[in-house]
This record gives sequence, C-alpha cells and structure tokens, in this order.
Amino acid sequence: MSAKNSVNISFSVNGENFDDVTVPTRQHLADYLRSQGLTGTHLGCEQGACGACTIEMDGVAVRSCLVLASQANGSSITTVEGFDDEVMQKVKNNFLKHNAFQCGFCSPGMLMTTKEIISSKKKLSRDEIRSEISGNYCRCTGYQSIVDAIEESINEIN
Amino acid sequence: MKAPDFSYFEAQNIEDAIKYKSEDDEAVILAGGQSLLPALNMRLSSPSCLIDISKINNLNEIKIEGDFINIGALATHSDVMNNDLVREKYPCLVDILKMVAHAAIRNKGTHGGSIAYGDPAAELPAFAVAMDAEIVLSGLSGQRIVNAKDFYLGLFETDLKSDEILTAIRYPFLSHNQHLIFDEVCRRHGDYAMAGLMAKVELDQSKINNLDLVYFATGDKPNVAQNTARLVIDNGYDYEKLKKSLASEIDFAGDLNSSSEMKLHLATILINKILNKLER
Repeated sequence: MSAKNSVNISFSVNGENFDDVTVPTRQHLADYLRSQGLTGTHLGCEQGACGACTIEMDGVAVRSCLVLASQANGSSITTVEGFDDEVMQKVKNNFLKHNAFQCGFCSPGMLMTTKEIISSKKKLSRDEIRSEISGNYCRCTGYQSIVDAIEESINEIN
Repeated sequence: MKAPDFSYFEAQNIEDAIKYKSEDDEAVILAGGQSLLPALNMRLSSPSCLIDISKINNLNEIKIEGDFINIGALATHSDVMNNDLVREKYPCLVDILKMVAHAAIRNKGTHGGSIAYGDPAAELPAFAVAMDAEIVLSGLSGQRIVNAKDFYLGLFETDLKSDEILTAIRYPFLSHNQHLIFDEVCRRHGDYAMAGLMAKVELDQSKINNLDLVYFATGDKPNVAQNTARLVIDNGYDYEKLKKSLASEIDFAGDLNSSSEMKLHLATILINKILNKLER
C-alpha cells in the first residue's frame, strides 16, 4: 500500500548506518526493520500486548510496533540479530539447555527482555523474573523453562 | 492492524507545536505514543497529522516547585519511577506506575501523555484527581492551570483546547497525616484494570478524618465517589450500603473485561481492600 506521506530519516541498526532513508509516516518501526530483512523482530499483536517485537532503542527496551519509523530519526537501534556478544551467547545457550525456545515466536522478545534484566545487574527471584517477563506472551505456555533459562543466566553472568 | 495515513511534523520547540496544532483541528500530539499508536493501529482514530513533541528539550524535568512536585509532560514512566525526588516524596506513585503496563512500554510512555489522553481505565488520571493535581497547559495566549478534577469532562474528553498542549503536572505534597492508598483488580499484571481505586485518606490518630475516593476503569472518566466516602467515614465498611451508594453515584460502564454489575461489585470490595491496607 502506498502512502501519500513520507519522511526521510537517518539512524543506525545493529551498528549499520541507515542514512536519509525514506519511510512512510504511517509505518511502524517493526515493519520497517522487517522490510530490510531483519525478520528476527516478530509481530504478534501490533498493540503492545505480546512483546514479540521488543527491540532496544538508545539503550532501553521498547515495543517496535508502538514506535513509528519516523520517530527513530537520530537513534541507535539494536535488534535480536545485533545481540551476539559473549553475554548473549550464554543467554542463548541457557535458553537451548532449558528448552526455552519452543515454537520460537516469542523468543526474540524474551531474549531482548532478558538482555534488559541482565543489564540491570539485579539478582531477581523467580517471582520477580515472572514479573519482568509479564509483558511477553508465550503461547506455548513454556514459561517454566523460560524462567529456568533466565534464572540460570542471571546466576551465571551477574 | 496498520495505522491509517497521516502527515508527521517533528516539533523542535513548544511554540512550533502550539502554532501547528492551532492551525489544524485534526492534528494530534504524539509524545511516547504508547496509547496513541495502538489506537491508530486498530484504526480507532485517524488524525490528519501527528505533531511529535518527543524531541523537545527540557519537557521531561522533574523538580520541586514550592509545595509541589512538578513532573514535566515528557518524563517517561521509567523516568518517574527511577527519580530520587519521586521515590522520596511520592513512593506511592512508584508503586502505582509498577501497575502501568510493562517495562518496555514504561520506557517510552510519558506521564503527560497518560494524563492528557484521559483513558478512563488508566491509573494516572485517577491519581491526579485524587491528589488534587494542577495540570499546566500552554497555548497561543500563554499558560493556564486547571485542577485535575475539572480537567476530565467525559470519555477521552478533556478541557484541553485545540491550541493547547499539556506541558507539566504539579502534585501537592501529602501532609504527614495524609496517605494515598490504591488497589485494583486486573486479569493479568500490567493489563488495564477491571476496576481500580485511588483513596486519599486523612487520619486523626487512627480515625479517618477525611476521605477521597476516585475510581478508574469504572465509567467514562475518573469517578469521584463523594457520598460513598462520607458513608465509609461514618459507618465503616458495609457491603450492601456502599454498593447501593456507589450505584447511585457512578454510572458504571461495562467493557470487554467486566460487566457494569461486576465493576460495581469490585468497586465495593475495593473499599474493603483499601481499609485493610490502611490498618497494616
């Protein structure tokens, strides 16, 4: 669908610069990222409830379905594809070990939320972990194993 | 689930935003967008233009001004929760914000946005009414201050004029014998409440001297239950009497979460929950 309104923006995604790209004003950031082949960012509900589209924007986790691409002008974005350092490798290994990737749909959002939990350096109880991931739906209802994986990651890394 | 088409204007300062808004009745202010963008994605709203004020400097300051704590409109929920002044002077606000959506949404959603949007199911408009907050509006002819009680007119309807932008909210400090106690019932942590209650209680020793009850997720706006509060002061908790009083005082409106009858029931038992919290 073509839009009559568009804006030109510049920002970076996973360290790569996107300079002066034209985006429709009505396009949300998740759709833009996916249109660029960054399909790790998933779209479930497009109303901020499911958490599958969570990304990091200027250092904090946000819902990319609730941010317009035009609002990303000047910002630095990291998607699940961009998290491949030693810490995130450990987290991913723990997710594998505990079978926390079941169908995989919620996984990008779960990993981004885990990243934010790990960055906060807090030692969280299982109840607190549940509260932190309360904004991420897993429709396989594999929460038990996801909490296991996050718990082990916190103990291992922080 | 895609937003309708609109144009987009990134305001560099508040004057530009006011001027632009005054020239286009159908334009809408975009701050954090955490309520507006879902509404657009669901096509509940189709503005001509979004005026993005999120890049304007100094609109996110949190500071003390006289007897008030002044929260800039663009302070995000996370900013407010992590602010030392708020944590010291208004710990109850930190607890309330924990119930507002989830971390990733609180990182983007703004205090002013929630107050200005006036969602009847949201916590902050009811909090502002219960706290007797002052809402600071800037327009073509300058600044004016409206009491939160007078700001909410109806369903998503506020006293904001077409050339005005909400720039700050000022909360008076609670005195040592005043307490803001809140509770809500919701299906999932972070979801909108099925019914919620903000109670400002003034104590004389352990006796309630004064009580303000403000409900959210019950009707078309934050609902003040004055007569019911009087009944609570005089007679304490009596389910049947209070339920009858609430039914005559508030026009309960059911939604997808709960019917109006259920909201009335929840509104009644919330009073008991508040009184129990007060005793602790």
